[in-house]
Amino acid sequence: MTKKIRNVIDTIIALIIAAIFLFPVYWIVISSLKSDTEIFGQVQTWFPKEIHWENYINQFQNKSNTANIFVQFKNSWIIAVGSTVLSLVLSIPAGYGLSRFKMPGKKGILMIFLTTQMLPCSLVLTPLFLIYNKVGLLNTYFAPILATATISIPFVIMVLRPIFLECPKEIEEAARIDGCSHFTAFLKITLPICKSGIITAAAFSFIFAWNDLVYSITFNNRGDLLPMTSGIYQFLDAYGTKWNMIMAYGVIIVLPIVVLFVFLQKYIIGGLAGGAVKG
Amino acid sequence: MSKKRMKGNRSEAWYGFAYVIPALIFMVAMIGYPIIYNIYISFFDMTAQSIGSGNSVFIGLKNYITIFQDPTMWKAMKNTFFYTIFCIVFQFVIGFAFALFFSRKFKAARYIKGLMVLSYMLPMTVVGLMFKFMLSPSNGIINEILVNLHLVKAPVEWLLNEKTVMWGLIIANTWVGIPFNMLLLSTGLDNVPADIYESAAIDGASSGQRFFHITIPMIKQSILSVLILGFVYTFKVFDLVYVTTGGGPVDASEVLSTYSYTLSFETYYFGRGAAVANVLFLCLFIVALVYLKLIGKDEVN
Repeated sequence: MTKKIRNVIDTIIALIIAAIFLFPVYWIVISSLKSDTEIFGQVQTWFPKEIHWENYINQFQNKSNTANIFVQFKNSWIIAVGSTVLSLVLSIPAGYGLSRFKMPGKKGILMIFLTTQMLPCSLVLTPLFLIYNKVGLLNTYFAPILATATISIPFVIMVLRPIFLECPKEIEEAARIDGCSHFTAFLKITLPICKSGIITAAAFSFIFAWNDLVYSITFNNRGDLLPMTSGIYQFLDAYGTKWNMIMAYGVIIVLPIVVLFVFLQKYIIGGLAGGAVKG
Repeated sequence: MSKKRMKGNRSEAWYGFAYVIPALIFMVAMIGYPIIYNIYISFFDMTAQSIGSGNSVFIGLKNYITIFQDPTMWKAMKNTFFYTIFCIVFQFVIGFAFALFFSRKFKAARYIKGLMVLSYMLPMTVVGLMFKFMLSPSNGIINEILVNLHLVKAPVEWLLNEKTVMWGLIIANTWVGIPFNMLLLSTGLDNVPADIYESAAIDGASSGQRFFHITIPMIKQSILSVLILGFVYTFKVFDLVYVTTGGGPVDASEVLSTYSYTLSFETYYFGRGAAVANVLFLCLFIVALVYLKLIGKDEVN
C-alpha cells in the first residue's frame, strides 16, 4: 500500500516538474492563437479569450515571393529529406564496416568521426563558402544538403556501430554459405534486423537538417531557396513584434519535429543516450 | 600464423574499407579540407574584393593581430566563456537533480522524462524567438511572473540591456540543455547496482553520504562526458545568439561564432573571419583533447 502511495506521489511531482519545464511549449501554442490586442496587452492571459486561427490562415495567404511560407515549407522538406538520404547512404555502410570487419587504422577512423561530430559549424563556414563559390554550389539546394549531412553522418555512425556490433554475425554467415554476397547479406539480412537503429538514424538526420539555419542563410541568398527556420527570422524583421504571428509560424516549423518525437520517442531517446555518450 | 589466414585478414580489411570509404571521403572533403583551407585563408588578405580580382596577398599573422587589436574580439572571448560556464553549471545541476528524481522507480518515470527531452530537439531558431518573446519587458510572461512574485520591482530588460543580455541567453540555452544532461546522467545512474545503496543504508550511511561516496564516484564517467560534451556543444553557440540578439545591444552579446560570421559575411573580411574561427577551434581542440584522453580510450575499444 505505502509503495502504491509513493508511486502516486512521485508521479504527481514528476508531472508538475514536466508541466513547468515544458511551459514554454504551451506558451508558444497559446500565444499563437491570441488576438493582437490580447498579445500586446499589459497583462498576459494564460488562455486566449478567443481562439484566433487567422494567425495561421494569414500565413498561408501571404503570396509575396520572398517570404512565402509554401516555398519555405517545400525548401525545408527538400533540404531535410535530401540530407537524410545522403547521410543514411553514406553512414549506414560506414557504421556496419566499422563494426563487422577487422582493419588496420580502425581506431583512427573512429577517432576522426568522433571528433568531427564536435566541430563548430563556424569553423567550416568561411572555407565552405569560398569552396562552394569556386565550384558553383552557392544558391543551390546542394549547399545546405551537403553541409547538414556532415552533422548527421558522424552522429549516425556512432549510434549505429554498437547496434551492428550486437547483431548476430552467424545469420549473415549462414546466408553467405547459401550463396549470398557480403553486400547482399548486409542489405537483406542485417539491415532488416537492425531496423530500429536505422529509424533512429533517419530521425536524427532529418531533425538536424530541418533545424538548420546557418548553412542555408550563409550559402543561399535567394529567397526562393531558404527554409522555414530562416523564414521565421525574416518574419521578425518584416513584422516587428507581432508575436502571435511569429509564434504561429514557430508552431508550423516545430510540428514535424513534434510528430516525429511523439511517434519515435523511444528511438530518439535511445539514440541520444547512445550516440551522444559515445560521440 | 598460416599464410591462408593472413590472406583472409587482408581481404576482410578490404571489405571493411569498401564500406567505410565513401563516408570517410565525404567527411574529409567537407570537413577535413575546409579546416586546412581555413588555416590557409587566415594567413591571406582575403576579402570580397581581393577574391574578385584574383590576387589575395599572403600577410602572415596580420589577420590575427588585427582581430586581437579589436576590443570586440576580447568581448566575444569573454562572453563565450561566460556563457558556456554558466550554461553548463545550471544545466548540469538542474539536469542532475531531475535525473536523481527520475531514478526513483515509479512507473511513469521513463515516459515523463522522455517527454521533457522535446526541448532538446526543437530548432534553436524557434527556441530563440520564443525566449525573446517570453523575456520581453513589455509583454513577456517571465517578467510578469517575476513581478507578480515580487522578485523584481520593475520588468527586467533582459535581452535589451547590455548588463543582462548574456543572462537572458543563458536562461534560453539552459532550458534546451537540461534534458541532455538529465538523460546522460540517468543512463549513468541506471548502471549503479541497487544493492550497493541497500548495503550502505544498512551500514547506516545517510543519504548525503550515499550521494557523495557512492553515487558520484560510481557515475564519474557519465559526469565527465556530460560536462565536456556540454562544454563543446555550448561553446560553439551560433543560432541562438544570432536570432535573439544578433550580438547586440551594440556588441554586448557577441560570441566568437557570431563575430566570425559578421567578419566573413557582413563585412566580407574572409581572412579575419577565418582567423576568429580558428581561435574558436583552438579553444575547443584543447577541451576535445582532454575529453579523448579521459573517455575516448574505453569508448573506442
